[in-house]
Amino acid sequence: MKLFRCTLILSLILVIQQLKAQNDSSFVSLLNKKSVQLNVGTQGIGAEFIYGVLPELAVRGGLNFIPIKANDVFKISGFNSTSNVAADFYNIHAFADYVPFKNAAWFRMVGGFSYFFKAKGNLRVIPSDDYKYGDLVLTEDQIGYVDLSVDWRGLAPYLGVAFAHTFPRKKFNINVDVGTYYLSKPKAKVVGTGLLEGNSSQTSQLQNNIKDYRWLPTVQINFNFKL
Amino acid sequence: MVLIMCILSACKKPTENIKIVIDTDVIKYTAMINVTDGQDGSPAPANSTITISGNAASNIYELSGKKNIQLSAGMVTIGLHPSIAPTADQPISVIAEINAPGYNKESRQITFSAEKKQQVVNIQLTRTGSTAPPVVTPPPPVYNNVSLTFTGRCPNRTDVEIRPSVYVYFRAAGSNAAFQYLGYMDKGNISTNLLAQNASYDFQIVFGGETYKVNQKIDQTAYNLTIDMPAACNF
Repeated sequence: MKLFRCTLILSLILVIQQLKAQNDSSFVSLLNKKSVQLNVGTQGIGAEFIYGVLPELAVRGGLNFIPIKANDVFKISGFNSTSNVAADFYNIHAFADYVPFKNAAWFRMVGGFSYFFKAKGNLRVIPSDDYKYGDLVLTEDQIGYVDLSVDWRGLAPYLGVAFAHTFPRKKFNINVDVGTYYLSKPKAKVVGTGLLEGNSSQTSQLQNNIKDYRWLPTVQINFNFKL
Repeated sequence: MVLIMCILSACKKPTENIKIVIDTDVIKYTAMINVTDGQDGSPAPANSTITISGNAASNIYELSGKKNIQLSAGMVTIGLHPSIAPTADQPISVIAEINAPGYNKESRQITFSAEKKQQVVNIQLTRTGSTAPPVVTPPPPVYNNVSLTFTGRCPNRTDVEIRPSVYVYFRAAGSNAAFQYLGYMDKGNISTNLLAQNASYDFQIVFGGETYKVNQKIDQTAYNLTIDMPAACNF
């Protein structure tokens, strides 16, 4: 995570410098131009191929993935526990980039679809104390754990804007995407083991709590190489 | 990620109103000991004592996991330490001895066997000097099946729910009759054919040396009942 943050900050500095350098707003047709870009952002890392299909329109296809794991970021009040959080978002996507203003060719509107073949968040809560049952001290296996998982797998539309030219004027540029996905309706599940087995009954409550968690905003920095 | 997603959705905290559900079936091999006055069927007097002896006595606990075993309304559930289990070849036996002022001492061997995880042991006390025969309680009449789901509540922890695994007793509401055995509730669930439609009942469980009761009129085939169980909330 630390490395990811450092990379993001360095990238932002580079982006600002690049955007300053790209003060040429003149429009150049996108037709038949090609490039590949590597990206890093809130949806992890990925790669895309871009192709100009009209003078003002380019299409791109690519993939992104983000596996996150973290410990002890979540506490249940009054219940001493450790927690392991994991999030896996893997998608393939197809976007269209449209340049609406020829005198501001550095600004694009972006829309498209993404298929999240993996879009899962998982939280495991494990009691951390020696759990005493009367005068008995129970083992970890006897106590068990609770897994709360949410799955957004499926097709998700995307809408956003992008800054900096679609294709580098020379060999390379850096551009930025800001937008949001509207994910599939999440499916929640709670599974307990051992003495916590009964927590499976909380699935419907979790499902109700997270039903509106469908907007996934993204900020993405693209390192674009002209082909 | 969840935080980012929530910014646009103004949504609920994912864990809002989610309870921690805890089971009480730590002790797997149990025996409900129900001590009554043999002459009238009422519960053993409050000052009755129970002593467990025998080679396996050190492995015997009250259902709540306590070493201290005492009668409450004449009842107590004892069981084997969770790491101890009888086998088909080697059942585990202990002796339960009941003493009550004004009554003859009663002893009973209780055997935990591999094939029987729950059992009810009825012990009738006879009054000192009495020659009256013990009262015989007729079996309760049989009706259609009713399902009861009990949820144990912790008065000081609203975020916790208990799924009790205990022996349940019942009697007609408002009656002074002795409680009768309804059945074993497994993880909060019990199905019984001993309850009549359009009748009200008091249900009683004994856990951790405490007696807990709840009342319900039966006019459907399934009920969710909530019962305070502070003795199950000491964690």
